[in-house]
Amino acid sequence: MPERRVTVASRVGLHARPAALFVRAAGRAGVAVTIAKIGAAPTDARSLLAVMALDVRHGDEVVLAAEGAGAGAALDELAGLLATDLDAAPSGAGDA
Amino acid sequence: MAVHVKAPLAGTAVELADVPDPVFSTAMVGPGLAIDPDRAPGTVVAPVSGTLVKLKPHALVVVADAGRGVLVHLGIDTVNLDGEGFTLLANEGDAVEVGQPIVAWNPADVEARGLSPICPVVALDAAADLVKDHASGSVDIGEPLFTWN
Repeated sequence: MPERRVTVASRVGLHARPAALFVRAAGRAGVAVTIAKIGAAPTDARSLLAVMALDVRHGDEVVLAAEGAGAGAALDELAGLLATDLDAAPSGAGDA
Repeated sequence: MAVHVKAPLAGTAVELADVPDPVFSTAMVGPGLAIDPDRAPGTVVAPVSGTLVKLKPHALVVVADAGRGVLVHLGIDTVNLDGEGFTLLANEGDAVEVGQPIVAWNPADVEARGLSPICPVVALDAAADLVKDHASGSVDIGEPLFTWN
């Protein structure tokens, strides 16, 4: 099963805003995606409750996994999302 | 069986669409309702009975039956306060009853720091059409807020 490891860049970890952005993207991926902390059981990346309950902090490494057609591309996109500081305000100061 | 979500704090009901944060106002976090809190020190209580699956100073999630999680987010962007001004009255993992005190805070304090004290109350992962009977106007703590079918 294709996997990606990524270090979470969101300044305050996967709290409400970044978690919601990630879950929305996972839901649009078209394949079932799981997210797990290293060494822990995977959980459904499309459930906001499950992702928030994981309590992923800034700097935590997580494993994303998916299977089926398009899994690789979906994982690349989701890993890219987590590697971005999703806390950076889109319309605020600083670079996009 | 429907989950009746009660107001975790007193204030005025506000449509999620009017919450000053697109993640909540576009219902990306889920459907629900927000409360513009009374500007006085207050206690936030559990909106439903269940397990307090997540407790941060500025946000909590209680999971009721059938895995239905209700998020109460105290203010917008308040994660940045790092807990300052919030006092936890329960522990993550506790079994809680609706109406049970969870966090003490002062919305006026949050506002004085330049943040919005509006509190979204959200049915996580819920289909929008399952959330109904939204309250409106003035809401007292413990009063019906919305129903999750």
